[in-house]
Amino acid sequence: MTSRREFLKVTGAAGTGLMLGLYLEAKPRPGEMPPAAFQPNAFLAIRPDGTARITVPKAEMGQGVRTALPLALAEELDLDWAKIEVVNAQPGPDFKAMQTGGSTSVSTTWDALRRAGATAREMLKAAAAAQWKVSPAQCRTEQGFVLGPDGRKLGYGALAEAAAKQPVPKEAPLKKPADYRLVGKRTPRFDGPAIVTGKAIFGLDVRRPGQRFAAVLRCAVVGGQPKAWDEAKAKAVKGVKAVVKVPTGLAVIADSTWAAFKGRDALAATTAWEEGAARAFNSAGLEAKMRTALTGPADDARREGDAGKALKAAAKVLEAEYSFPYQAHATVEPMNATAAVSATGAEMWVGSQSANRAHERAAAALGLKPEQLKVTVPLIGGGFGRRLGTDFSTEAAQVAKAAGGGPVQVVWDREDDLRHDLHHPATLHHLRAGLDAAGTLTAWAHRIAGPAVLRSWIGGQKAPSQAATETNGAYDIPYAIPAIAVDFAEVDAPTPLGWWRGIQVVPNVFARECFLDEVAHTLGRDPLQFRLDLLSDRGKVKFGRDEADIRRLKKVLEVAAAKAGWGRKLPAGHGLGLACHAYDGRTYAAEVAEVSVLKGQLKIHKVTCAVDCGLAVNPAGLEAQVEGGIAFGLSALFSQITWEKGSTVQTGYHDFPVLRMADMPLIETHVIPSPEAPSGMGEPPVPVAIPAVLNAVFAATGKRIRKLPLDQQLA
Amino acid sequence: MAAFTLSVNGQSHTVEAPPDMPLLWVLRDRLQLTGTKFGCGQGLCGACTVHLAGAPTRSCVTPVSAVGTQRITTIEGLDPHGAHPLQRAWIETDVAQCGYCQTGQIMTAAALLAKHPKPTDRDIDAAMGENVCRCGTYLRIREAIHRAAGQRKGVTP
Repeated sequence: MTSRREFLKVTGAAGTGLMLGLYLEAKPRPGEMPPAAFQPNAFLAIRPDGTARITVPKAEMGQGVRTALPLALAEELDLDWAKIEVVNAQPGPDFKAMQTGGSTSVSTTWDALRRAGATAREMLKAAAAAQWKVSPAQCRTEQGFVLGPDGRKLGYGALAEAAAKQPVPKEAPLKKPADYRLVGKRTPRFDGPAIVTGKAIFGLDVRRPGQRFAAVLRCAVVGGQPKAWDEAKAKAVKGVKAVVKVPTGLAVIADSTWAAFKGRDALAATTAWEEGAARAFNSAGLEAKMRTALTGPADDARREGDAGKALKAAAKVLEAEYSFPYQAHATVEPMNATAAVSATGAEMWVGSQSANRAHERAAAALGLKPEQLKVTVPLIGGGFGRRLGTDFSTEAAQVAKAAGGGPVQVVWDREDDLRHDLHHPATLHHLRAGLDAAGTLTAWAHRIAGPAVLRSWIGGQKAPSQAATETNGAYDIPYAIPAIAVDFAEVDAPTPLGWWRGIQVVPNVFARECFLDEVAHTLGRDPLQFRLDLLSDRGKVKFGRDEADIRRLKKVLEVAAAKAGWGRKLPAGHGLGLACHAYDGRTYAAEVAEVSVLKGQLKIHKVTCAVDCGLAVNPAGLEAQVEGGIAFGLSALFSQITWEKGSTVQTGYHDFPVLRMADMPLIETHVIPSPEAPSGMGEPPVPVAIPAVLNAVFAATGKRIRKLPLDQQLA
Repeated sequence: MAAFTLSVNGQSHTVEAPPDMPLLWVLRDRLQLTGTKFGCGQGLCGACTVHLAGAPTRSCVTPVSAVGTQRITTIEGLDPHGAHPLQRAWIETDVAQCGYCQTGQIMTAAALLAKHPKPTDRDIDAAMGENVCRCGTYLRIREAIHRAAGQRKGVTP
C-alpha cells in the first residue's frame, strides 16, 4: 500500500523497466532525416553534418526536462552540447510513457537515456574502428568525435552512415560518475534564448493557416448544462462565425480570441441553465461534513502499535485541529488546445502532462484511431499537475469536430481557468499526541477528513490505495513513535479534483510538522533537537512498499539548521521555524524559515533549504526547482478557493492571489552530494515550506496558525 | 470593424479590428506576434506587457483604438538581435522556468531601466510588483535586472 506508486500507476507514469525496452527497440521515423543519418533509437539522430537531435519523452513545463534529460544521453555519448537540437516526443507507439508528474521525469528516464547514449557511442566507435582497422577498445570518444590510436579522429557526422550499419550491442558500458563531463555541472536552460526573445512556442502560441479561435461558455455551477440560449446574440458580434454545442457547454467560434470572448459573453446573457445537484454545494457545508467525519468511520492508512490504548494510558494528551482549503493551480498560461480535423485524420497541439491519454481520449472523441491523430506537445506555460487532466484537450477535439474541421484554438480565460480547474480539495485534520510522565512521545494519531482526489481522478471508484494516497505525508511520518494511527475519512464533494504540485503531502505535512512543533514546545524541547532525537538510530524504514532512509532525512535537517544558524539570537518579533519530509521516501528536504511579524505584518525573510535527491544531474535546474517549489508552497499561505451554490467564489488573480516579488524570501539551497540514483525535485520543496514558516511565526509571536489561508489571523 | 494603422517595432501595419479589441489580440491574432502573452485579461499579471511610447503598458486592457500613433514595442522588437542587456542577463542568470511570463517581465524591467538605470531592490520590487511568475523566479529576475544594470558581474550595459 503505497500512495505514490498507485498514483503513478493510475496516471500512467510508472514502469521504467518496460518503457526502457520499448524506447530502445523503437524504430526511428523515416523521412525526417537525411538517409545517411544515424538513428539508433527513438531518442537520437545524428546527421551527417555532426548535429544531433535528441527527442525528450517528457513535457517541459519549467522543471527543466528539456535540459536535464538530454544531459543524460549526451553524457554517455560524449556529444558536443553546442550541436544539440532538442525536440519534444509525440505520443504514440514510440513514446508510451510521456506522463509528466510525480517528480519522476529524471528518475524514470535516467537509465534509458544513458543506455541510448552508450549504445550509440559503442556503434560509433565500432564504425571508426572498422574504418581504421583497429580494435574498438583502442578508440574513445570526446565532444562529438571518435579518437583512435595515434591521434586519429573522426566526427560523429562523418561516421553516421557507417555507424547505422553496425550491430546494436546488447550491453554498452556506462560511464563511472567520476568521468562525467556534463552531468553534475551547472547547465543553463536549453530554452533560455528562445524564451527571452519571445520565440518559444507555448500551446497558446500555436498559429496554423486558417486558424479560428473558440471560447466555451460553461456553466458556473459544477456539472451544469445550458438548457436554452439564443445564438443570434453571439453571432451579432463581429468576427463570430458559429456557435456549437459541446459536452462542456457552448463553443463560440470566431476569427480572433477577442471576438470569441465577446461572443461568449453575449451568449451568456441569453442562456438559461440546468444547474444540477451541485448547486447545493458550499464550503461551509463541506466543512461541517468534514468535522463530523473527524469522529466517524475511517479507512486505516497506517497502524503501528495500539494508538488508542497508548493515548488512554498517556499522562498527557495534546490535540489540535488543522484546516487546509481548496486550492487552484493558476498557471499563467490558461488552459488551451488547438485541433484540426480533416477527412483523413486530425492533428492537435496541446500542452499536456499526459500526452498519451490526451491523445487516446481526443482520438476517441473524434471517432478516430489513435494512429489517425497526430499530437504535438508545445512548451507548457505552467503545469503544476493541472495539465495531467485531459478535459481541456478532449474539449478542443470536440469543438473542432463540431465546428466542421479547423484548425480551432480553444482558449480559456482566467475565470474559466480558476472556476473549471481540477482543484486540490480542502481537508480537515485532527491530531492527537500522547506523552508519558517522562515527556516521551508515546502515541500519534492523525485523522484526515476530506474529498478523495484519487476517487475523482479514476472516475468515481474507491481504489484500494485510496487511504494511502489521501494520507501521503501523514502515513509516512518518519519519527520513531511506538504507536501510530493514521486514517482517512472520505467526505463527498461534487467538484472534479486533480493533482497539485506537492499533492496531498502539502496539507498533510503542514498539519504533521506544525503539530509536532506544538508537542516540542509543550515539552519545552528545542524543535530541532526533538526531531533529531525522534529520527536518531533509524536506518531504512519501510512505509508500505516505499522505503525511506531516515539517515538522509536527518542529514538534511542538520545541514539546513546549521546553515540557517539555528538557535542564534534574533531581534524581537523575529523567529526561526523548521520542518522536514522524506518525499515518497525518495527525496529528502528540510527547510528553516526566518520570519518577522511586526504590527501584524508577516515578512518571510529567508528560507534555508537542504535537499538530497541522489545524484544532482543538473544542479542549476535543481536549485531553480527548490526556489520555485518554495514559492509555490508559500503562495498557499494566502490563497484559497471557496464554494457557494456550486460555483467557486474566486474568479481571478484579484481574489486568488499568487506570490509576488516583494513577498519572495531569499532562498539558500544546499544540495547534499549523493552517490544514489537521481530521484526528483519538482514537488519535494513545496510541502515543507508552509510548516517551516508557520513554526517560525509561532517562534516569533507565540501564535499557532492551524487554519489556512492566513487572512487576518496575525493582525 | 475599422482599419487601424499601428507602428509596431518600427514597422507600420494596417489591421482590421473592432475598436474595442485589446492591443494584445491585435498583436497575437492579427499580426502573429505571439511573444506577448495572455495571462488574465484584467491587467493583473503583466504577461501581456508591451511598451507604448516607451511606457510599460498592459496590452490586454488597452483597446486598439486608444493606441493611435504611439510607438508600440513588443518583445520581438526590444532589440534587433534579441541581445538587449536584460535578455542577455536573463540567460546568464538562468531566470526562466516555464518561461511563459518572462517576456512580460523583461518588457516591464526594460521600462524600469530606461527610467532608472541603476535601480535598487526597492525600485525593482515596486516596478515588478504587478508581474506574476507562478514558477517563482522572482529572486533571479531581481538578480538579472541588477546584472543588466551593470550592478553585478556579467553583462556590459
